[in-house]
Amino acid sequence: MLTEVHVPEDVPAAVGLIASGATILGGGTALMPALNDYGSPPTALVSLRRTGLAGITVAGSTVTLGATTTLAQIEHDARLALLNPVVRSIASVPVRTLATVGGNLFVRQPHGDLAVALVALDARATLAGHDEPAELPLRQPALVTAVTFERPEPGIFKYVKAARRRFNSASLVTVAATVVESGGIVTGARVALGGVGDHVLRAHAVEEALIGRPLNEATVHAAAQDGLTELSPADDAYASAWYRKRVFPVHLRRALLGC
Amino acid sequence: MRIVNLKVNGVGKTFIARPETTLLLALREQLGLTGAKRGCAQGACGSCTVLLEGEPVVSCLVPAVTVDGADIATVEGLADGPALSHVQQAFLDGFATQCGFCTPGMIMSAEALLDRNPDPTRDEVNEAISGNVCRCTGYEPIVSAILDAAVRRREGAKL
Repeated sequence: MLTEVHVPEDVPAAVGLIASGATILGGGTALMPALNDYGSPPTALVSLRRTGLAGITVAGSTVTLGATTTLAQIEHDARLALLNPVVRSIASVPVRTLATVGGNLFVRQPHGDLAVALVALDARATLAGHDEPAELPLRQPALVTAVTFERPEPGIFKYVKAARRRFNSASLVTVAATVVESGGIVTGARVALGGVGDHVLRAHAVEEALIGRPLNEATVHAAAQDGLTELSPADDAYASAWYRKRVFPVHLRRALLGC
Repeated sequence: MRIVNLKVNGVGKTFIARPETTLLLALREQLGLTGAKRGCAQGACGSCTVLLEGEPVVSCLVPAVTVDGADIATVEGLADGPALSHVQQAFLDGFATQCGFCTPGMIMSAEALLDRNPDPTRDEVNEAISGNVCRCTGYEPIVSAILDAAVRRREGAKL
């Protein structure tokens, strides 16, 4: 049960409350379902709603998403058309109004598709009290204040989420990637996967199998076979681990080749 | 315990909230507005959908103290005296309710959709209510009623 819900007005106050043991509450869409059970352990929350961390800034090609920016705000921002299919693949409208960018970085898979996309976009997280931005995925709990990435040229970013239903369903396999080609050869690849482990997976083996080769069916097939060794999917209500591994090559191909 | 102020359906309300008092619980138990329903308490069924600052939210996931000062709209605020909103009237005329448990949430999701998009496609309606579960499975009349309400709203706006 909840013992206290703090609603600090700024980040330093939030940092102090977190240091005293309070749990960070973003949009609440992952945390509150667990706490709505009266059997949940005593928990103090620190809501970030009033800390002034919401907002989207686009300066040239640099996009900065404040940590409490909601998925709905991204969905309805014409400057972020790149991320529109990503956020619309997540949960439902009344959940996206609450769910935040910062929270999405920490939810366990098979949720957290925005985090998958942000890893592929090589986004960096600004953490309260740290000067150096952190690479995603984050390994430790932290108070994220913003996420920043460089908007790629059209066609570079690729995203496919396979789910049981078209709307409002958790991931079976999510593939997000940025693939740069030059002269018919892949010169840069950053591939992130969701639904195939507890957390967002940066698929290094897939990337290595793509770089230096033409982006075609044979290359992607080989990359998928290499990538299979990195997957550790779970059995859950959406799919079995076996099924997720079985269909991963298909969705990698659809994401990278569009067919 | 904290004092929370909300503007609910245009009227200022003040109540005392415990830490675990969700917006849904406050509306139902303290303000007597039982239109929004407690279904799953997980944000998955949408029966508790209300508008927070004009946008649909699952109110079961919102601690009341975090939205102190906010503007809330519930199904109780839609009718103007005996005159139902276009969405409500379209649901009634189109037999888009069965047991009625999902209806308030469905209607608030529909109102929010039509506020943003006055002329949605059937597919856009499907997406808008994808977070609202109807266990009577009466989705087709619901979708048709929302499309009908969109027409009524647009024609009403022309008058």
